Amino acid sequence: MSLWLLYGLLLKATMTSFSGMGSLPQVRQDFVVTHGVLADDQLSHAVLLGRSTPGPVGVYVVSVGYLVAGWPGAVVGWLALVTPALAAVPLLVVIRRLHHLPRVRGSIDAIVVAGGALLLPAAIQLARDAFSVLAAGMG
Amino acid sequence: MTARPTLAALTWRIAADVNRTVGGGHAAIELMRRSFARSGWLRDVDHALLVAVSRFTPGTNVLAYSAGLGWMSHRLGGVAAALLASSLPGALVVTVSSLIVSRLARYSAVRMALAAATLVAAWLILSSAWALVRPHVLGARRLWAIGTALAAVGLFAAGVTPVRVLLVAAAWGLLFPVRGDAT
Repeated sequence: MSLWLLYGLLLKATMTSFSGMGSLPQVRQDFVVTHGVLADDQLSHAVLLGRSTPGPVGVYVVSVGYLVAGWPGAVVGWLALVTPALAAVPLLVVIRRLHHLPRVRGSIDAIVVAGGALLLPAAIQLARDAFSVLAAGMG
Repeated sequence: MTARPTLAALTWRIAADVNRTVGGGHAAIELMRRSFARSGWLRDVDHALLVAVSRFTPGTNVLAYSAGLGWMSHRLGGVAAALLASSLPGALVVTVSSLIVSRLARYSAVRMALAAATLVAAWLILSSAWALVRPHVLGARRLWAIGTALAAVGLFAAGVTPVRVLLVAAAWGLLFPVRGDAT
């Protein structure tokens, strides 16, 4: 697989997700199912690394890039990881300009409250996973 | 921002905060909020804005949050420094340890250590959630805020994706304009 295709596929996955692990279904579809350059257990290892390495969980795409194309693949994976974040700058500029409008403030308030509330299931899931590992280790 | 960190301080702070959490970006965002606010570099209103932006930016939330922090303090130079600081150390560790860690994770002691770190991350995420909703839940529009939060969790539990939940929230918020200091 060429590095350009690798970048394109990883970028497609990261650009169409809105969280670190959100890109996983698309990554599996492209690399395991469609192109067959990655096995399911390799993808599982990449995900495990992403979850157990300090830093963003989405960093697992770097491991995917490495497993597919070695060190150049890791660089490509890193580029695919950070590229979508650049979209934050124009979004931030636009929202800051409109932030004084009452309806925009109401909308942002609702997003913040809903976003905060959505963290609850994520925290519960993490804690459950951790407790099950600890329980298995002690049992 | 109330004060502006130097580029070096920005880079170091983001690198230190993002790369000492395990289990996701929400915990890292909470660490950044605490350390930047403590230094007088970040107001609550800017943090809320960055969280909203990071939620609507494709990809990893913590990278978008970091990019926004970088832009607020040093424009494009800050964005580049923030993205490098928040992503490069983890990317290097993942690459170097791609084979090693998958073998070590078979050992129960390592798995339990990782699980303990994950519990800390879960606590940080809860703390982050409370920091976000607290001004609203304790503010003048508390009933609206509690209803919005419950509806968001309910929609998510019903299988609606987070992005769609946030889009619904955005539309919902347009119906309730905020004037003055009412939060």
